[in-house]
Amino acid sequence: MLILTRKIGEGIILGDDIRISIMEIRGKQIRIGIEAPSDVVVLREEIYQRIQEENLRAAGVRDVDLKEIAHIWKQKKDR
Amino acid sequence: MTTDLQKTPAEPVSATVATKNFGDIMVREDQIITFSPGLLGFSELHRYVLIEHGQESPFLWLQSLDKPDLAFVVMDPVFVLPDYQVGPINGIQKELEVKSLQDLKVLVILTIPPGRPQDMTANLMGPLLINVVNRRGKQLVLESSPYSHKHRVLPAKG
Repeated sequence: MLILTRKIGEGIILGDDIRISIMEIRGKQIRIGIEAPSDVVVLREEIYQRIQEENLRAAGVRDVDLKEIAHIWKQKKDR
Repeated sequence: MTTDLQKTPAEPVSATVATKNFGDIMVREDQIITFSPGLLGFSELHRYVLIEHGQESPFLWLQSLDKPDLAFVVMDPVFVLPDYQVGPINGIQKELEVKSLQDLKVLVILTIPPGRPQDMTANLMGPLLINVVNRRGKQLVLESSPYSHKHRVLPAKG
């Protein structure tokens, strides 16, 4: 891992079009500014992981579950 | 078992794809949806096909064409929350080359706990957006939205 030391107002350039800058340091919190093209996905790591983990959980569905689900759904609708 | 998904007869380019849930299925090139990058956690898998679960069932299978045993259950989020909205999508609209919003299909992935299907949840935080014209899709992450990644679909029992 590349480790750099930066001061407030300084930045880091990734590739040609991504800029990360240090905006503010307050105690244990750091505000970071990110300038990137709109097609670059920028996410807090824990949010990314939450969606990734949910995808992995969802991938384990079996056909028998869905038959039951469709049945429950129909009952709910017909009521 | 061979399930023929072909609905219109005049499309010659098709291939047989092995799946765990449906056996060998016939898939036409114009049915293949490409997610690039793939879904989070499955970034190497790009090609999928949507399979209807059955009449009167709002559920669909999103079957991977690259991994036979990978299939997600998905549904239109309006069945879960009638006023569901993904919010501003200018960036993704451009990326998927969506010309008209009518061409954009939104689906959410369901998580069905084994043995407790009534407790299934919908991932409203990570919807799938698909341009139905060029069949390009992407999973969006709605970071600053009120939606949960585990939104209960059916009321709890009792």
